Amino acid sequence: MIKIENLNIHLSEFNLRDINLNIEENEFFILMGPTGAGKTVLLEALAGLIKTKSGNIIIGKKNITKLPPEKRGVGIVYQDYSLFPHLTVLENINYGLHFHKIDKTQAEKRLNRLVEDLNLSHLLKRFPLNLSGGELQRVALARALMVNPSVLLLDEPLSALDTNFREEIRAGLKRLHKNSNVTFLMVTHDFAEALSLADRAAVMNNGIIEQTGSIEDIFQRPDSTFVADFVGMKNLFAAQFRDTKALTGSIEIELGRKPANSHGYIAIRPENIVLSKESLASSMRNSFRGTVTGVLDQGLYYEVDVMVENVTFKSLITKSSLFELGIQEGIEMLLSFKSTAIHNF
Amino acid sequence: MRSKEPFFWITISCGIVIMAFILIPLVEMMTAPSFAMLKETIKDKDVVRSIWLSIYTAGLAAIISFVFGTPLAYLLARTDFTGKRFVESIIDLPIVIPHPVVGIAILSVAGRNHWIGQFFSDLGIRIMGSVTGIVVVLTFVGLPFYVNAVKNGFESISPRLENVSRSLGASMFSTFFRITFPLAWRSMLIGIIMCSARAISEFGAVVIVAYHPMIAPVMIYERFEAYGLKYSQPVAVWLVSVCLALFLILRILTLRNKKEA
Amino acid sequence: MKKKNRCKWLLVILPVLTLFMASLLAYPHTGWAKDKQPTGKVIIFQAGSLTVPLAKMEKAFEAKHPGVDIVREAAGSRRCARKISDLKKPCDIMASADFTVINTMLIPKYANWNIRFATNRLVLCYTDKSRYANKINAGNWYKILTKKGVVWGHSDPNADPCGYRSLMVLQLAEKHYKKPGLYQNLINNRPKENIRPKSVELVALLQTGNMDYAWEYRSVAVQHGLKFVELPDQINLGNYKYDNFYKQAMVELTGKKPGTTIKKNGKSCTYGVTLIKDAPNREAAIAFLQYMLNPEGGLKILKEMGQPPFIPCRVSTAEMMAILPAGLQRLVEIKE
Repeated sequence: MIKIENLNIHLSEFNLRDINLNIEENEFFILMGPTGAGKTVLLEALAGLIKTKSGNIIIGKKNITKLPPEKRGVGIVYQDYSLFPHLTVLENINYGLHFHKIDKTQAEKRLNRLVEDLNLSHLLKRFPLNLSGGELQRVALARALMVNPSVLLLDEPLSALDTNFREEIRAGLKRLHKNSNVTFLMVTHDFAEALSLADRAAVMNNGIIEQTGSIEDIFQRPDSTFVADFVGMKNLFAAQFRDTKALTGSIEIELGRKPANSHGYIAIRPENIVLSKESLASSMRNSFRGTVTGVLDQGLYYEVDVMVENVTFKSLITKSSLFELGIQEGIEMLLSFKSTAIHNF
Repeated sequence: MRSKEPFFWITISCGIVIMAFILIPLVEMMTAPSFAMLKETIKDKDVVRSIWLSIYTAGLAAIISFVFGTPLAYLLARTDFTGKRFVESIIDLPIVIPHPVVGIAILSVAGRNHWIGQFFSDLGIRIMGSVTGIVVVLTFVGLPFYVNAVKNGFESISPRLENVSRSLGASMFSTFFRITFPLAWRSMLIGIIMCSARAISEFGAVVIVAYHPMIAPVMIYERFEAYGLKYSQPVAVWLVSVCLALFLILRILTLRNKKEA
Repeated sequence: MKKKNRCKWLLVILPVLTLFMASLLAYPHTGWAKDKQPTGKVIIFQAGSLTVPLAKMEKAFEAKHPGVDIVREAAGSRRCARKISDLKKPCDIMASADFTVINTMLIPKYANWNIRFATNRLVLCYTDKSRYANKINAGNWYKILTKKGVVWGHSDPNADPCGYRSLMVLQLAEKHYKKPGLYQNLINNRPKENIRPKSVELVALLQTGNMDYAWEYRSVAVQHGLKFVELPDQINLGNYKYDNFYKQAMVELTGKKPGTTIKKNGKSCTYGVTLIKDAPNREAAIAFLQYMLNPEGGLKILKEMGQPPFIPCRVSTAEMMAILPAGLQRLVEIKE
């Protein structure tokens, strides 16, 4: 549906280089990356609000690279929702109708459906000034979807909302996407959001795309150190591969498979590391004895750092487990993980 | 700032000094002429003509500033380009240049010794000693006030609103008239008021380009030179009163709208 | 608490007051210095046409007497007189383009005597950019000035003698060239927009091409390098022998109050100068007049600048001679 070919953008502070992206029709695609990676720049370039240096943007079958924003059929919802303050909610939603020839009854049908889906009927005569963040977001979505765009761009639409309601709103967004035939492209840096909403995703860094793929792949099988680090794979080690084993530091780790390369990286998610006092009667191929070097309170979980020989592993453990096992700095522990939990690249 | 603190009292006393500084000479001037004198003055056809000339030439200057200054203000608010600071400084130049110098500069271009003056002369348009010349001078001195006020107005409107409008299918023109203008019209009005106020009070530049037809400040000066305070003060009182009334009405109109919204 | 507030009040008012006092004391006044050199400010209200020669005189005099600061205000001579009589502006010397202005508007309340020191005559000035510049001469000027599209003007008769003198020249032209109605035809082709309070302003309009022709004194035309048409003595108000012919011309000017008028008749251009009765710096003013009316001093400068002086200067009666300040009597003769 959206095809970005070799896109280059030169701005005074940002440079996007050779962006290549393929997004399927009606996909919920998520763009991630640290601040300053260029995500918003890419979004605005798709919308036609920023000039591109070279490359092509093709939506459907049309090459829209040279088209002005009003001719692209690409909607955008900003982080602050940008509702028109001098128009009522209803006028905001119907704004796009001035510029699209839509049959009156069809327009009314669409309006009623959106108002119902997004629960806006009691707000129609209000002005944006006094609405809550959640209400503003729903109006912004209704406004964008009213003109039936082929693509909807969302720039961190949930980051301005209370964390308490995020799950609820997230579900609403997912529902909205399912009920329409619009392709959603959303920018976020919240992993939970990405995991729950995305079909596929891409990670950007410093103006280039580091990895594209299904959300699973990116989180479980990052193919670069940057992405691995970005998605929170805290146990990232350079390693030599011999046969089915990975050698890192002075430890030998059993992979259960033969890697294609002779040296590279291995990564293990902290959640997948099991701590115990005695050997576990389990199928975990890798078990090491190490010393606890750090216990860090992460709020809902504890991060426990265990040093095995000269390699430090980070694991996540619940508070209750921490007390049960009597974990504190300096004690010896057994550290285990399955070979399937190891990602190598 | 607590209300009984010394810092608070200093701000109050500075405020009082400034208010007194402005009001005392003006009140003195406004109350000097007798009612009989004021009546006699306003009956003088020349005085009425001169005040009316001041008002409508200032109005024309404001309208011209509105038409040409608005697009420029929009450009300055929304884009960045090399030399932008330079352009902004040029727009501020008329404020800095001494008024007689403005008049002399315009006169030099308006005469047949300059190709522009020659061009207008061939068209039969006269600048020296004409309403056209007065409007040219007033626009020159009033433009910066309009452009700066409106530029600030545009800058205070988030460009994201315009971006969203375009994403919904509106062209730049439609966006400007449906989104930007309704949100910026108040600053345009303020710009017009500032530009007109500046234009109505202009003397030094106008008197060089056009002595006749006589705008009110020139008449006040002329009467002062020829007959003294007694005959010039009433004209000043009428001019100030008329201007105050006009600007007050304009401000009230905008204030009322704000309450409705 | 209240004491503190009062202290704060003083802190604000004191510096303001200090500034104010300082500025008042800044300006020095008049008098003689210990070694009898004149010092201080000398305020001169002068006719516009005297600007260039007086500027040169000012420089020369100040070079010899560095303690003196000559401050000149140029305006139409009638306006100068009004500044003294109506506005009561402080003034030491008044130099007029028409000596009768001093007689009618300043003597006896504000001045006692009147010294005639120079003459002048009117010419029609133009530049090579003026319309019909290559055609105009002493024989056809009045025809060209009546042509539609020719922009010509003069100064305001109510403020400036050059203004009413210009009108008189036009009236005399009607009589001299024997063309009845010429005066009105000329005036019809000269809208109010072409009048300026001071004749010297017209020079700038000529030089920028905003005006084609302007009536000016010959001295001013010479000083500014303008082209000009010389007119016959019968009409140029420059030759006192034709005073009888000149007095046929009559112009009505505004009187003391708006609405009242006085009548003025044509006379040859004679410049006059006087010392104002309440002059703030009498001594230095007299010293300047001694320089100005000296054939080797100011009068020489006038001559060099195209304005024929009276050598020596003249007063009209013996009584007037008697009341002149001591230093000036030897520079003046009694002549009608």
